[in-house]
Amino acid sequence: MAEKPRVAIFDFTGCEGCELNQLNFEDQLLDILAHVDIVEWREAMDDRAAEYDIAFVEGSLSTPDCITRINDIRRRTKVLVALGACAVQGGINGMKNTQAIEEVREEVYGEDKYLFPTLPALALHEVVKVDYNVRGCPMTQIEFLKLFTSLVMGKQPIEPDHAVCVDCKLKENECVYERGMICLGPVTRAGCDAQCPSVGQYCTGCRGLVTNPNLSGMEEILVEHGLSVDEAWKRLELYNANDLEGAR
Amino acid sequence: MVQFYLDAERLPAFVAHLMAQKTVIAPHAKGQKSFTFETVAEPDQVVLDYPRVMQSIRKFFLPPKEELLTFDLTENSYETTEVEPIDAIFLGVHSYDVAAVGRLDYNFSVGSPEKNYLTRRQGAVFVGVSFVPDSYHFSGSVNIRPEDPTGCDIFLTKLFEGYVLEVHTPTGEELIKGFDMPAHDAGRPATGHFQQHIYVPQTRLSEIMEQSYDNDVWAETAEQCVGCGTCNLVCPTCYCFNVDEAVDVTVTKGHRERHWDGCMLRKFSEVAGGEVFRESLAGRQRHRIFRKFKYISDTTGQPWCVGCGRCTAACPAHISIVGIVNRLISDHAQAVVAPI
Ligand code: SF4
Ligand code: SF4
Ligand code: SF4
Ligand code: SF4
Ligand code: SF4
Repeated sequence: MAEKPRVAIFDFTGCEGCELNQLNFEDQLLDILAHVDIVEWREAMDDRAAEYDIAFVEGSLSTPDCITRINDIRRRTKVLVALGACAVQGGINGMKNTQAIEEVREEVYGEDKYLFPTLPALALHEVVKVDYNVRGCPMTQIEFLKLFTSLVMGKQPIEPDHAVCVDCKLKENECVYERGMICLGPVTRAGCDAQCPSVGQYCTGCRGLVTNPNLSGMEEILVEHGLSVDEAWKRLELYNANDLEGAR
Repeated sequence: MVQFYLDAERLPAFVAHLMAQKTVIAPHAKGQKSFTFETVAEPDQVVLDYPRVMQSIRKFFLPPKEELLTFDLTENSYETTEVEPIDAIFLGVHSYDVAAVGRLDYNFSVGSPEKNYLTRRQGAVFVGVSFVPDSYHFSGSVNIRPEDPTGCDIFLTKLFEGYVLEVHTPTGEELIKGFDMPAHDAGRPATGHFQQHIYVPQTRLSEIMEQSYDNDVWAETAEQCVGCGTCNLVCPTCYCFNVDEAVDVTVTKGHRERHWDGCMLRKFSEVAGGEVFRESLAGRQRHRIFRKFKYISDTTGQPWCVGCGRCTAACPAHISIVGIVNRLISDHAQAVVAPI
């Protein structure tokens, strides 16, 4: 390897859970740092750089200022990676898009709403080209490490595109439907090693939808297990409102 | 053939007798209503009365994930990961799961033999147990009866509060040495009726499948199917896998791993360049069913479905393999009676 890639890390609208998550890589952080130069990272350092090889970006875009900043980042970076559900598919923030934007502003800022311009919460790919995604809420650590090593080695990373059910079957988990729960695993993108069903919880869909999901089939499954059509779509929209716009 | 009577109360003692000779792998309860094969630690935890285990014993011979080799990027070298025979007694296996191992043996030995599977397969001893068909089993339709001992060294048939124990091989004889049981000479009972049936035998299914390529059932099923792959991943005769490589975070070493894959998954048919040649769920469902009743069956004369009912029982959309096959049969019969 010639020069170490210059890496920058940015956050937009989100809880910063994804970035903090990176700081939790206690065992791996030194190894990671050995392979890259971190040139910009608000949460952990003050330096600012002009150009980067890889920009990791967390959070969704929800103000006009966000749009300006993300365009600026895109111009300065060779590779742009979206980190976490908010950045990848809009995530929880996307829920606000299912309501009228004026009501949302009023609800959050009250009388001061005119001081805070707001937009529908957008996933990064809705504004700029995103090269790779690390999914999950918070982002899945193992996936971050895999992507990271692929980028350092100059290899094409593999993004999983099968249902969480697959990983459940590989681990021989008892399906939570057997316990009377309702699970979005059949249309949710794997890569988390079926984290929630493995501890007896249902999947809420935080890693986004598989490619070409059969949504009416999934609706049928949810309705059959006792949800109304409206509740079924609300469940699906929890993390995926942006991708589901107009799908109902 | 010698028959004995094994009282259910003596089952833990029998398990302990086997454990004194080899590792014993048997069904255990898991979760709220499920069952799984595990290495026995406590003889009284073994459950012989169960409808089906979530994953068949295939998982021991073809693990869900397995490391094939490790490599070192600094030295540019690699080392193949060694595989050992599974020298264990599989206790409490149902006839269809033993039959499924036979199908896998064929798949991994014909053509280019696959070393890892075949190595693991050496040394396995089977103690089968009969089952009472539930609303999903249909193995009778593919010639596998609940009390069929084929492939077993010892077979247990449920009889009242115990089992008729039959010894089928010299290995089986060795296993029971030193464990006293009363002889039994009243034969074995048949263990119940199937509630599910495929209406015609395999000899006719190949031809019916041949005529069913454009049947509407594929598109109709695709409306409910969510493409989750569960039906492939729980099937005891599915053997597809994918191979991946992972490098650890030091970027100096890594490993190559293979893991189960399935034809209902979209990426399964993705080729270089990102093209997916079996994009529709209808096409994928047809492929799955043809894999069970046509493609390999045309060569071997055997259905590659053993009638365990897992794919139907575990499908979140309740898609029934028996339902699909019978629909093809009846559509074919009608087409024969009244050609358009
Ligand atoms: S994806 Fe989840 S953890 Fe990450 S910033 Fe958004 S809300 Fe927080
Ligand atoms: S628990 Fe959820 S993800 Fe797991 S198999 Fe069941 S539906 Fe699929
Ligand atoms: S199981 Fe579902 S909700 Fe849980 S981490 Fe995985 S994708 Fe997210
Ligand atoms: S288990 Fe059911 S829903 Fe899932 S891929 Fe198979 S047929 Fe489709
Ligand atoms: S196709 Fe279904 S019923 Fe047949 S062996 Fe496979 S899982 Fe069992």
